[in-house]
This record gives sequence, structure tokens and C-alpha cells, in this order.
Amino acid sequence: MTWRFGLVESTFTPLLTSHWALAAALCLPLLFGVLAAILPPRRMWPVALACPPILVAGLYLLTDTLHAGLLRWQWEFFGVSVALRLNGLSILLLLLTQWMGAAAALYTPGLLRISEPERFARWLWPLMGVVTSALSLAWLATDLLTLYIALEMMGLAAVAMLLLSGKAAALQAGMRYLLLTLVGSLAYLLGVALIVGYWGRLDLAGLAQVMEPGPVAWMAAALMGAGLALKAALFPLHGWLSPVHASAWTPVSALHAGLVVKASLFVLLQLWSLLLPDAFWAPRLIAWMGMLAIIWGGLIAWRAESLKTLVASSTVAQLGYLMVVFPLLIGPDTSPLARALAWEGFWLQLMGHALAKAAMFMSAGNLILATGETTLKGLAGTSRRLPLSLLVFGVASVTLMGLPPSAGFTAKWLLLHAMVVSQQWLAVAALLVGTLLTAAYIFRFFRYSFMETAPRQRYQPLAPGMDMIALCLALAAFVLGLLAHFPLELLQGGSA
Amino acid sequence: MINLLLIFALCWPLCVALAGVWQAYRAPASQRRYLSWWWVSAAWPSFLLAYAGEAQWVIDIWMLGGQWSLDALSRPWLAFTTLLWSFAAVHARGYLAKEQAKAQVGDSSAERRLLRLTLLWPLTLLGNVLLIIAQDIASFYLGFALMTFAAYALVVHTGTDEAKLGARAYLIMAVLGEGLILGGLLWAAGVAQSVLLEGVREGIASAEHGALMAALLWLGLGVKAGVIGLHVWLPLAHPAAPAPASAVLSGAMIKAGLLGWLYVLPLGETSLSPELTRLGEIMLIAGLAAAFGAALYGVWQRHPKAVLAYSSISQMGMLTAMVAMGLAAPEVWPLLLPGVVLFAAHHALAKGALFMGTSISEHLPRWPTALVWVLLALPAVSLTGAFGAGMISKWTVKSALYEMHHESLITLLTWAAIGTSALVSVSLWRQWQQRHAGGSHAAQWGAWLAALTAALVTPLWLPLPEGSVALPPLKEWISLMWPLPVGVMAVWLGGWLTRHLRIGIPPAGDLWWLYAWLAQNVLVAIRGVGQWCNGIKAASVNATLAIEKRVMGRLTQLTAVESWMRHHTSGLMMALAVVLALLLIWEGA
Amino acid sequence: MITFFDGVEVGLALCMVTAALFCLFDRHLLRACCFFVGFALCMALAWLILEAPWLAGVEGLIGALLTAPCLFYALGSFSHAAKLPPYDHIREPLSRGVIRTLLALAWCLMVGATVRFIFPEMVYSPTEHPLLLAGIVMIATAMGAFAWHRHLVRRLLAFNVMGSGVFLLLAGLAGTNAQGQALITVGLVVAWLGSLLGALVIRRLYQLEGQIALSGESALKEKGK
Repeated sequence: MTWRFGLVESTFTPLLTSHWALAAALCLPLLFGVLAAILPPRRMWPVALACPPILVAGLYLLTDTLHAGLLRWQWEFFGVSVALRLNGLSILLLLLTQWMGAAAALYTPGLLRISEPERFARWLWPLMGVVTSALSLAWLATDLLTLYIALEMMGLAAVAMLLLSGKAAALQAGMRYLLLTLVGSLAYLLGVALIVGYWGRLDLAGLAQVMEPGPVAWMAAALMGAGLALKAALFPLHGWLSPVHASAWTPVSALHAGLVVKASLFVLLQLWSLLLPDAFWAPRLIAWMGMLAIIWGGLIAWRAESLKTLVASSTVAQLGYLMVVFPLLIGPDTSPLARALAWEGFWLQLMGHALAKAAMFMSAGNLILATGETTLKGLAGTSRRLPLSLLVFGVASVTLMGLPPSAGFTAKWLLLHAMVVSQQWLAVAALLVGTLLTAAYIFRFFRYSFMETAPRQRYQPLAPGMDMIALCLALAAFVLGLLAHFPLELLQGGSA
Repeated sequence: MINLLLIFALCWPLCVALAGVWQAYRAPASQRRYLSWWWVSAAWPSFLLAYAGEAQWVIDIWMLGGQWSLDALSRPWLAFTTLLWSFAAVHARGYLAKEQAKAQVGDSSAERRLLRLTLLWPLTLLGNVLLIIAQDIASFYLGFALMTFAAYALVVHTGTDEAKLGARAYLIMAVLGEGLILGGLLWAAGVAQSVLLEGVREGIASAEHGALMAALLWLGLGVKAGVIGLHVWLPLAHPAAPAPASAVLSGAMIKAGLLGWLYVLPLGETSLSPELTRLGEIMLIAGLAAAFGAALYGVWQRHPKAVLAYSSISQMGMLTAMVAMGLAAPEVWPLLLPGVVLFAAHHALAKGALFMGTSISEHLPRWPTALVWVLLALPAVSLTGAFGAGMISKWTVKSALYEMHHESLITLLTWAAIGTSALVSVSLWRQWQQRHAGGSHAAQWGAWLAALTAALVTPLWLPLPEGSVALPPLKEWISLMWPLPVGVMAVWLGGWLTRHLRIGIPPAGDLWWLYAWLAQNVLVAIRGVGQWCNGIKAASVNATLAIEKRVMGRLTQLTAVESWMRHHTSGLMMALAVVLALLLIWEGA
Repeated sequence: MITFFDGVEVGLALCMVTAALFCLFDRHLLRACCFFVGFALCMALAWLILEAPWLAGVEGLIGALLTAPCLFYALGSFSHAAKLPPYDHIREPLSRGVIRTLLALAWCLMVGATVRFIFPEMVYSPTEHPLLLAGIVMIATAMGAFAWHRHLVRRLLAFNVMGSGVFLLLAGLAGTNAQGQALITVGLVVAWLGSLLGALVIRRLYQLEGQIALSGESALKEKGK
């Protein structure tokens, strides 16, 4: 598994321009965030001007990665070495982060203009920059220290962003999230302490060579697993997730549900494949929890009263799909074919869900913003006045349900294939039940929204582009499914 | 040459039908001539085809692979069928002249009816011709179905209540019959792995459930041929249909069922299974029951055409009995077959003449009364076997049976002839009672006279194999003729009794009313069951809704667990770490 | 010299654990926060003993001078208007306490066993690494307390104590080399930022809703009605 994560020596040294591109990708979001805090953009165009350098840097890194297969950077600061790597997987996630960050940033001015101006609204910009940078760093980092820094930056900035709306419910949910994410990080740090104490090094590539199963690896894996599971909202540690989203601003929710929780999951998978390459039961436990997550999240979303709870609970269920794949990715006896399929399916599902969930949060935010109602009952009859927002919601839910031609479908197809190959029938059943439940909660909302008897309400007109951005994200999930060949090749490209 | 004739024979009715429609579409109402001579000529090429000699065609591109032939059986059949169709068409031209005049002055309903008849009469004819020459299942079934369903227009033509009832009875029974035929044909064809009628015959003879297939086909075709129990449409449809339509229905189409039996049943095959022999015996009994029962029931009818319809049932009963001999006593069949063909041909023409005669008695021409009634009686007398072609056909059958010593059957058939005599005399008597003068049309009586003549001299023109027809020896004439006076006497006696004892007249259609009553009751019962099911459905929907509500309530309660999990997240995290550690230690140790 | 250091270390460890326990389990919040200041000073001393003056400085600065005011701010000690109630009156069901205690014991065992595996000689002289032992005890206790308490200030305190325990363990296991120091420094900064953010939110929550603990959604709803 280590080569899949790019934890091997690279044969190429990065070019000078690659260094600059990397610096741009990591620092420009921060810089622009701070700039925007000083001069808050009122319109979309300043944001649209700021995004291209970052995106171009990302695309440049993509071409570089395509060229070299694997890029590594290593620096030494005061005796502490920091290592970054860029392989097919991390460049994909980096690009996803950048584009979704750009979409969220483009969405924000419209939102802030329509909703009543908040006292802390300008702080959203630097925090968004920090989150984007931290996420980018998390995908690239290959040593435990950098990972820790990235996770903490991401976590604290995310909490702060979620707190910004300033309502009591948001404060309470944010406080819970803050405490839990801090403690989760401490559990991670405790694991790091054990690893450093025993093997004396922090870089993952070096650890992969000296690592051997034993009590230290197990304990570290257990502690880090629990901490990161808490941060990644894996069932049954997901309780903090839906209240947080219930009162957060839309772009924040989109970034958070789409990427932030996934980063913890990414770190978890990376560390476990390093620490527990041959564990059988621990990944199974995660998978069983995942099955429960699929069913539980689906049920909660089905019975949800407010739209945001529905969307947030669906995140829990969708994370369950990823958890179910754990035994295929980590563990002793999985055939190479099943592992390759599961690997592709895992990341495709992650990316497809990120895009679709962001689109869904944005369309849900649009609906709520336009009607001023948050409950499903209150949103009855929206089909007449807000067809575009509803369309976006529908397109995004196609991905969540895993219908063709979305990325969700391709990913589920790959995962089902892998599960059938390795004869994990329970997981197959969970996947199918999850699809049914997804359809159930999606159509429950649609039933409300197409109610013709609902009274006509006054609608707040949306700022231009708010729906279009969400639609682009939702369609991106389709494109990802239709053109899955390219990302899948990149994902497997690390094998060279 | 014969190929061209075949194509012409099959295409001409189609062209005629299309031409009729085209004319109706183009010409103004006042100039439309629905029953033109073109229309009348629809059957002529087919009649010529019957005399063009024997031939066989194999057409692979036709449906499942077509095979048509003109042989010793189909040629005479085609000849008498098309001859009757031709006469009937001419007769229709006279019979419907008044209706056409009405249509030309703008009676839209008459227009519509005539147009329907113009279109569907040639199609019915086409179906009839096709089924006669067909030797493969698809063509036979296509022809049969086309004939059956197109003939609906012939029955329903007048549009009166009686016609509608008759047409409904016809259609219901026809659909039933088509279903049975299709089932039997497909089953037998599947067993025999053949698409030819010959294959069906062989399949039935050799298959394990051959008797069942044969029974399906017998009953299915028997709807058309008026097997007892399935005959109910005949006495309802015939009185209501126009006279020429009745003539072809009773003369030509009813024979299609008979021909179907000859085509699909393994008649005269040696070493038949006992079940098939048993079926033959059942057919024999059914045929004789029809022969006698129809006579006994029919004499009480008031409408001459209803009486004639019962006569047809009775005659077809006799034919059924003869066909049954092909299964019950196969050795007699080769001798019997020419007799059956001749019998059928003669009956077709004679019955056609009799049905046309009913229209003559309604519009008596200005001829001497005695002449008219003698002419009207001639086909009737011939049908009883006392005279002319009827006598010859009866003798042909009898001699075959004599040769194989089936005397009891001969006796029974002779007694059945008493019934025939009684029926035709009742029919003539009813015609006499309901006679009207005037309004006669030359085509009407011309066609009638021609049919009459053709019926009396059937053996002369029918293309039968050499030596299959013989005049009865003089000493047998008595045995052939005595049923006629006995029948007339019986009718006279019956008439006298009716007048004095005031016996009510049973309705035409006999069993139909029983069936209708049963069906109505069954419908009522089904409706009751339906309502009951509806109630159950409503109850189960309610129950399901209640269950759903309860389950949803439980689910909503279940969401309380969510807040429990939220409350204890950090504890759960600690527990997860412990569980993971224990698992790993347990596995690793 | 060595025995002297041992004695100092043992004493320091004992002081730290005592301060941590008071800080975690004293229901008088202001007093608990004062104990936290003392605990942070002990930590700074410990870093000095472990020959990490940089860390000692950072700990002294962040732990005692920055985090503690955050906590006092959360308690409302600087304003006269809206002080939090001085005592934590929230009573938890016994089962919750029992389960948390068991879990904390399990954690203690887990971490302790692993540390013992890393330092096999600890079997012969368990007191050779008193700070390490103190760290283990602090981690487990603080984690248990974090999961047990509902008062937000106390949970924040528990988080801080646990963080210190982890740092101590890290230093004890890995030594105070550059990597360890970097990790600990980042951890300290994060802990301070977290405490700052937490204190702000606690204050705001108390002002808005009068809440000092996280209530379930249902409780919030009822309040809304």
C-alpha cells in the first residue's frame, strides 16, 4: 500500500518552477484570504480574479506529476525535516480542493450580499484561505509533524468558520466540534508520541521501512484511529456533524462536508495502511461500523425535518460507503484485482461525494435563503419558483444515489465489483440498502417540493451565479463519472 | 399460368375491396354503386382456379414458410365454396338494391352499412379461399381468422337488435373457437416440430396427448361447424343476417370448420391410439345428438331462417358423425371421404338456395304461384335425399357404410333424414305463412335459380375423383325416399297438436339463453368477489398505513439514539480506541 | 546528583499530578483554574529539568500567561456583569461516572503497557521515569474527566491537562530533540488557540443563552418553545 500513497523515493527532483507552483498552491490561498479580510470583496469579480493563479499552479503541478509520476520535496528547518510528495492521488485531491475552494469563494460574495451583514463576515475569507491551504498541505504531507500541523490548522479554521454565523445553535454546535476535534488531535498526537518514542522518526517513508507490527504499532493505530475517526465523523462518532451544518453558512458547509472530514479519513487510511498492513479485524470493525453508518445515516436523513439535517446525515451515510471499503484496502488476504478496484472506487466515491455534497449544500442553502424556511414542510411547493435550485439538488442527488452517469455510479460499480470479487456479500447488501435509503430520503424531499397545494410564499431573489456555481459542481460530479478513465489512471499511476 | 391465376385469385378480392373503399372515398354519395359487377366478380378467379388442375406451391418467404396446394380435397371444396360465394354475391346485388337506392339519396346509416359490407365481404371470401388452399398452419390460421372476423360485418349488417344479439353471440363463440384452434395448432405444431398441417396430423396421431390436441381442434373448429353445445350462434345469427350472408354463412363458412377437421385430424390413419378412437366415438355421439336434437328443437321455430339454421346444425351433425367414423373406424374413411365432400357440396348449394329462397318468398315474383313454390321446395326435397343430387350424395355415404357393415349408423342417419324432412317442410310452411309479393329483383331470383340448379346437379360439375360417385340402384330408392313423407306427416301432426294443445314456442338459440344466464350469474358472482377483494384491499391498505405510521413513529423515536450518541461522543471515542486496541492485541498475540 | 534529580523529578511529578487532579475534579471553578496556573508552572519546571529551556519558555508564556487568562475570561472574572456560577452544580448519573472511570483505567493500561514495552527496564525500577508515569496518569484521568464532565470550562481544563500529559509523554519517550520540541510547540500553540476560541464561545454562549454546558438538541428546542 505504501507505493499507492507515494511513500517511496522519487527518481526526479522537482524543477524550480514546480517549487514556485507548490508555494503558490500552499500560500496564495492564505495570502488572498488575508487580503480579502482587509478589503472584503462585494462582488464576484475580485474573487474570480484571485482564483486563477492558484488554479493555474494546481494545473501546472498536474502536468508535472503526469510527467514525473511522483514528486518529492524535503526541507530541513532547525533540525526538523519536512517532507512533501505529489503523486497521482494527492494531485487529484489537491485539484479537487482548489476547484471546490474556488467555487465556495465565488459563491460567498453573493451570499454575504443577500444575507444580512454579519459582524464577523470578513473573517470568513482568511479562514477559508487557511482551510484550503491546510487541506492542500494535508494531501501532500508525508511526515507526522506536517500532517499534525495541517490537521490542526484545518480543524481550528473549520471550527472558526462554522462559528461565524454567531447564532446560539451555531455556537453550541461549534463548541462541541471544537472540543471534540481538539481531543481527537490529542489522541492522534498521543499515537505520534508512541511512534516517535519507539522508532524515533516522523517521516512516513522512513517509518514504512522500519515499521513492524507490535504493541506500539497497535496502540498507536488504535489511538490515532479513534482520534481521526472522531474528526472524520465516522459512525458512531458522527454526532457533532449535523448540528454543525444545521446553522453554518453554505460555502462553509460545502467545504467542510466535502473535504475537511475527508482529510481526516485520508490520514487515517494512510496511517493504518502503514501501521497495520496485515490486520484483519480492525478494518473489519470499521467496515461494520460503516454498514451501520449507511443504514443509520440513511434512516436519520429519511426522518429528518430540516433540509440541512437531511444533507448532513446523508454525509454520515456516504462516509459509511468509504468505511465499508477498509477491509479491501487494508488486510492480509485481498486479491490484487479487488484491491485495485477498491482503491479506485474509494477515491472516486470520495471525490464524487465531495463535489455532489458541495453542490447539494449550495442548492439547499439557496433554497433556504430564498424561502427563509429550513424545514422540509416549509419548503413545500418550491418547484414552482426555484426550479433551478431544485434541479441542482436533483443532479447532485443522482450522484449520491449512484445512478449513471455520475461519479457515484462509477465508484459504486467499482466497489461492488471489488466486493463481489472478494465475496463480501454483507458489504454488497449494505451498499444496495444504502442506495435504497438514499432514494427514500431524496424523494421524500422531492415529494414535499413538488406539492402543488402549498401556499405561495414571497421569495428572496438570489444573487446571480449562485445557482450556476452549484450546478457546475453537480455537473462536475457527472463529468467525473463520465470521464472516470483519466482520474483512475492517475490513481493507479503511482504504481509505476 | 396457374401461378398467375393463383395470384389473381388471391389479389382480386383485395382489389375489389380497395376499389370499393376508393370509390366511396372519391365518388359523391348519389353516384356510388356499392355492389357493382366488379364487386360481384370477387369470387370468380378462385372458381376458375378450382378447375385449373392440381398444383402445389411452396413459398419460403411467406410467414413461417408457406405451402399451398390444390388437390383432390381442396379442389372440389374450392369449387363449391366459390360458386356459392358467386351466387350469393349476385343475389346480394338484388337483395340490397333498395338499400343502395336509399344510400344514394343520402341515408348515411345505409351508406355506412353498405360500405362495411363492400369492404368486408371480399375479405371474408379471401379468408375462405386462403384457408382452403393452405397446407401450412400459418396460412390456414390466417385465412380462418380473417374469414371469421370479417364475417362479423355480414352478420351485424342490418344493425337491428336481433342482428346485434346474433353478432355478439357469433363473436363471442368465434373468439372462443379461435383460442381453442390456436392452442391446439401451436401445441401440435410444437410437438411435431413442423409448420405444416400434415405435421399437425402426424403430431396428433403420434403424440402422447394427441387426443387432447385433437379435442381442442375439434371443438375450436366445431364452433364454426356447429357442434352441439357450440352451435348456439347459428340460430341467432342466421335469421338476423341478410339472406345472401346467411347463404354463405351456412353454406360456405360452416364448411370451413368441417374442412379444418379434414385437414388437422388424423382421419383414416391406421393404428390410432385408443384415446383418439374414444374421441371419435364422442364425436359420433355428439354429431348424432346434434342431428336429432336440432331437428326436434328447430321444428318449433317461427322464423324460416331460424328453422333453416337448425337444419344446418342437423346436417352438420350428420357430417360430424361421418367425420367421427374416420377416427372411430378408420378403415371406412377412404370410401367415405368422397361421400362427405359430395354431401358437403350439395348441402352448401342446397342450403344456399334455401336461404336465398327465403328472400324470394318475401318478395314473390309475378310467376305462377305453384311454380314458385315447387321451385322453392326443390332444394328442400333434394336435401332430404329423396331426389336429385341429395339422393346421390346420401347413397354415396350409405354405400360406403354398407360396405363396412355399419348398418346401425345407416339406420340412424336415415332417421335423421326424417328430421331434415320435417325441418325443411316447417321452413316452407313458415315461408308460406310469411309470404309477400312484389319488390322482386332480377339478380335476386336469377341467383336463386342458378344456385338451385347447381344444387340439384352437384355431381355433374364437382371436380371429384373418377368413380367416386354412383347412382343408387333402384331398389334402394325406397329406403332413400321414405323419410320425406314421414317427416311431412310428422310436421302436420305436430302442427295440429300445437294448434290444439297451445304449446309455447321455444326461443331460437336454445342453449345460448342458458349460457347467457350462467354467464350473467358468473359475472354477478365475479362482481361480488371483486367487491369482496376491494374490501380486503381497502382493509389491507388501511392496515399497512397504520403499520407504516407505527413504524415511522418508532423510527422517529429511534432518532433519540442519535442525540444519545451526540451526548456520549467522547466516551464512545475512548471505547473505540479500547476496542481497536483489544482487537489488535488479540489478533496479533 | 542523579538521586537529587530523581528526587526533584518525583516531587515535581507528584506536584503535577496533584495539581492536575485538583484542577480536574475541583467543582469550584476559579480554584480549579488557579490550580491550572500552578500546574502550568510545574510543567515549565519539568521542561527545564528535561533540558528544554525553549519549551519551558513557551510553556510559561502560553500555558501560564496566555491560556490561564483565557480561562479566567471564560469564567467572567474580568467583568462584573455576567459571571459564571462559581460552582459546577451539574450532577451526572453514577453509571456515566463508572463507565468513564473504567474507560480511563483502560486507557491508562493501554498507554502504560505500551510505554512499558518501549522501556522494558521500567519493570525493574518503576519510578525511574516519574514524569512519564505522571504523563500517563494525567492523560488517562484527563480523558476520563473530559468525557465525564459537562461543564464547558471544566472540559476545556481537562483538554489542556490532557494536552500537557501528551507533551510530557512525548518528551519522555522521544527525548527533547528538535522533532519532539517542534511537535510540542505546535501542540502548545494549538492548545492555546483552542482555549482562546473555546473561552470566547463559552462567554458568548453564556451571554446569549445562559448555558454552561452542551445540551442536547431536544433541550435546546424546549428552551426555544
